[in-house]
Amino acid sequence: MAGIYVHIPFCKKKCAYCDFISFPDYSREDLYFVALVKEIRQYAPLMKDRVFDTVFIGGGTPTSMKPGRLAAIMRELKNAFTISENAEITSEANPESADEEKLSELVAEGVNRLSLGLQSADDRLLEMIGRIHTKADFVKAVDTARRVGFTNINADVMHGLPGQTEESCLDTLRFLFSMDIPHISSYALILEENTPLYESVKSGETALPDPDETADMEDAGFLVMEENGYRRYEVSNFARPGFECRHNLNYWNNGEYLGLGLNSHSALRIRGEWTRFNNTDDLTEYVNELGGDKLPVRNTRTIPRDEEMFETVMLGLRKTAGLSRGSFIERFGEDPAVKYAPAISELELDGMIKVTDDALVLTKRGMDFQNEALIKFMDQ
Amino acid sequence: MAFPKELIRNFCIIAHIDPGKSTLADRLMELTETVAERDMEEQLLDSMDIERERGITIKSTAVRMFYKAKDGKTYMFNLIDTPGHVDFTYEVSRALAACEGAVLVVDATQGIEAQTLANVYLALDNDLEIVPVVNKIDLVSADAENTVREIEDIIGLPAEDAPRISAKTGLNVTDVLERIVTDVPAPKGDPDAPLKALIFDSIYDNYMGALSYVRIMDGTVRPGDRIRFMHSGNEFDVTEVGVFNPARLPVKELTAGEVGYISASIKSVAETKVGDTITLARDPAKEPLHGYKQANPMVFCGIYPADGADYEALKEALDKLILNDASISYEPETSQALGYGFRCGFLGLLHMEIAQERLEREFDLDLVTTAPSVIYRVIMLDGSVRLIDNPSSLPSPMEIQRMEEPTVTARIMTPSEFVGSIMELCQEKRGVFVDMSYIDSARVKLTYKMPLNEIIFDFFDGLKSRSRGYASFDYELGEYMESDLVKLDFLLNGDLCDALSNVVHRDKAYAKGRAMAEKLKEVIPRQQFEIPIQAAIGGKIIARETVKAVRKDVLAKCYGGDITRKKKLLEKQKEGKKRMRQVGTVAIPSDAFMSVLRIN
Repeated sequence: MAGIYVHIPFCKKKCAYCDFISFPDYSREDLYFVALVKEIRQYAPLMKDRVFDTVFIGGGTPTSMKPGRLAAIMRELKNAFTISENAEITSEANPESADEEKLSELVAEGVNRLSLGLQSADDRLLEMIGRIHTKADFVKAVDTARRVGFTNINADVMHGLPGQTEESCLDTLRFLFSMDIPHISSYALILEENTPLYESVKSGETALPDPDETADMEDAGFLVMEENGYRRYEVSNFARPGFECRHNLNYWNNGEYLGLGLNSHSALRIRGEWTRFNNTDDLTEYVNELGGDKLPVRNTRTIPRDEEMFETVMLGLRKTAGLSRGSFIERFGEDPAVKYAPAISELELDGMIKVTDDALVLTKRGMDFQNEALIKFMDQ
Repeated sequence: MAFPKELIRNFCIIAHIDPGKSTLADRLMELTETVAERDMEEQLLDSMDIERERGITIKSTAVRMFYKAKDGKTYMFNLIDTPGHVDFTYEVSRALAACEGAVLVVDATQGIEAQTLANVYLALDNDLEIVPVVNKIDLVSADAENTVREIEDIIGLPAEDAPRISAKTGLNVTDVLERIVTDVPAPKGDPDAPLKALIFDSIYDNYMGALSYVRIMDGTVRPGDRIRFMHSGNEFDVTEVGVFNPARLPVKELTAGEVGYISASIKSVAETKVGDTITLARDPAKEPLHGYKQANPMVFCGIYPADGADYEALKEALDKLILNDASISYEPETSQALGYGFRCGFLGLLHMEIAQERLEREFDLDLVTTAPSVIYRVIMLDGSVRLIDNPSSLPSPMEIQRMEEPTVTARIMTPSEFVGSIMELCQEKRGVFVDMSYIDSARVKLTYKMPLNEIIFDFFDGLKSRSRGYASFDYELGEYMESDLVKLDFLLNGDLCDALSNVVHRDKAYAKGRAMAEKLKEVIPRQQFEIPIQAAIGGKIIARETVKAVRKDVLAKCYGGDITRKKKLLEKQKEGKKRMRQVGTVAIPSDAFMSVLRIN
């Protein structure tokens, strides 16, 4: 398994909580597009032995670019890389920019999964966190998506937003059930430094729900999703059977992926070494370096074996299916249940982990206190 | 050949804790070309980073200057820079005893402050000639005439013709030099009498060992002499004598009236104590100089490494620190909460803070410090007396007949508009009113008798905030008094946390117990279980708070492929855990132990 991630760093408006690399400056869209195409072509010979099973175009807001751009990027990807026939190809979109023209263009180029940023079905809350769409825009976007041929649709939602209540959270989820959306990513708000929301909370202007309220929202939300046929398959991800996101599962399986575009991250086995690197997060550098036919790569690091093992644990335990002992043995020649026996026995005593024949699986409690559990693995 | 004694002037500068003093010293050195202007670094005499940052002097230093006066003669000036804080009163008094005169610098924008006054009295006690100087007259808020009046009224010194200067710009500073020539007496003393050298400070040098900073009162000392410290009885062979230029400059001899240093391969400053008298072993003086005192620590606290693995490093750091500062005491202690550490004693609060800061900075240590404590006298039922400097070692109330605590006489000078709220503060701190007098129509001097235990923590902060920074404060130690004291304990999830125990007056125990419990609730992070916090006196619970259990500790999002970011967050969380102390089942951040005391 290997995936491709493509980053589109443009957004009509930056959300109050967002610290991803994206900006509302479309004057540089053309330059960016040219650089991205160069980057894709540069990687083509380097990736000629790999078959990619998933593609994910994220952002930013990919669908906010000029018509034709996403189609062109898809064509470049297909020219440059071997993408398997039944690959899962996702594009992110925001409800306001997911119009028929853009969505048809995606379907025509083989994009078969759409991930829509809804966040909440409460228009008042949407406005407060700086979103520029409404619940009605989402309904329209989903209708359009289905009309042009999308069946595999995800909605991102958030809890722990300022002024949000448990009822508002549940309303959003029920609304998604009524729309028959097969996949839901449900994230707790992470208050990141250097965001307008962070400043506003710090100054006391905005109050966040207290951690107990947020936990209540989360627990209630998870419960109603389970009741409505969605299975939690990762910390924050829920799907009807068969709709799990393969691209993200590849991350959690600590598989290979190639990141393209500004500030994208890659993990590849290069000449036997597990290697991570990322692209610059400076748009000017990105454009200039690719203009000079140079890959804008930063922080290339060979991951020592022990660290690669820990990464595999850290990511694997995010899945409700847990960390597969078989895959771990195949990859490292060691059984994680043996390798991490001291940490595991401590966590077992605490009721945080279970060891089955096939996997190491965190319990409900272990999922809730996952960081604590991981620190035990880390310490060992 | 020795410099003619009648042309020597030994003096110090007295000023409030303020860079003004060091700035004046810098100007004097410039005018006498002791250091070239281009080599001047602001406040040359204060050499420790902490001294520069805080604008205070901790150690005494000295510098020799040559000044060609208007009478055509060239004079040798020895300026001794003294510490300026109440914690170091004894060191100040010994530095003063090494001088014949003192330049009193009064800030024309502030007037005389409590600390200045205390040092003037010390100077008068040592029979010093005082040369008043009015500083900062370049500032618009300066009121030179009123300042002169204050000097005359409060100190009783004629000050009409006191130089009005700006140490910052250098304005009229030459007048100060002239006044030192005319007003400060030349030293007395007989170069041929048996040696009597007063140690006014000592420092540790990595290459030469402990150096004694001395004023030669009588006699002469040369390299090769065998010297004796009259109080300790220790003897050493002199390897070098020298003067401060301001860098150390070896000379052939130091003789009566001069100021310099003596190096004699001494291992630690503890062997060359401030106030001791150095004499020659072959021809000793009959009597040592007056005024020697053993400086005793007044304020104690536990110092622990934030990371238990650093215990040895802390021990080494303390060993090195006392090479330079013999007034710090320390002995190993253990705490259930904090593990292995040291009980350390200091001359006062500032001294304690500075020592902690030096340990953290110069030795790169992370420390946990417990609440400062004084020494309580505990009179047991059987009449025996125990001295207790650590609340957790207080005997059970059942065995105690009564307890006594040290008091101080506190002198506070404040603009009169703040008198009401400062008196309130003193009462809150169990102060007993002694006296109030008007310095002039706008300023008041208050005197209170107060328990030392009430002023060692946040009294000074309270004073500053209630007077918008205008009040100044000074204290001297008084006697012990009987007091109804109790030990306030804290239990976390049912386990006693010894590092939080403190001794308080019974009347204040409830309020303090409640306040500290509330603060603990703020600083103890939520954990996987609910944590009851209880304040207790004896077995009785007087306050209770609860830290609710945390419900989730998981990162919602994995930031796309940015695994590094997640790993870093986990690393950070792990580091945070390392900085926590385990008390029974409860983890407490290291800095919580001090922060819970900062209440109000």
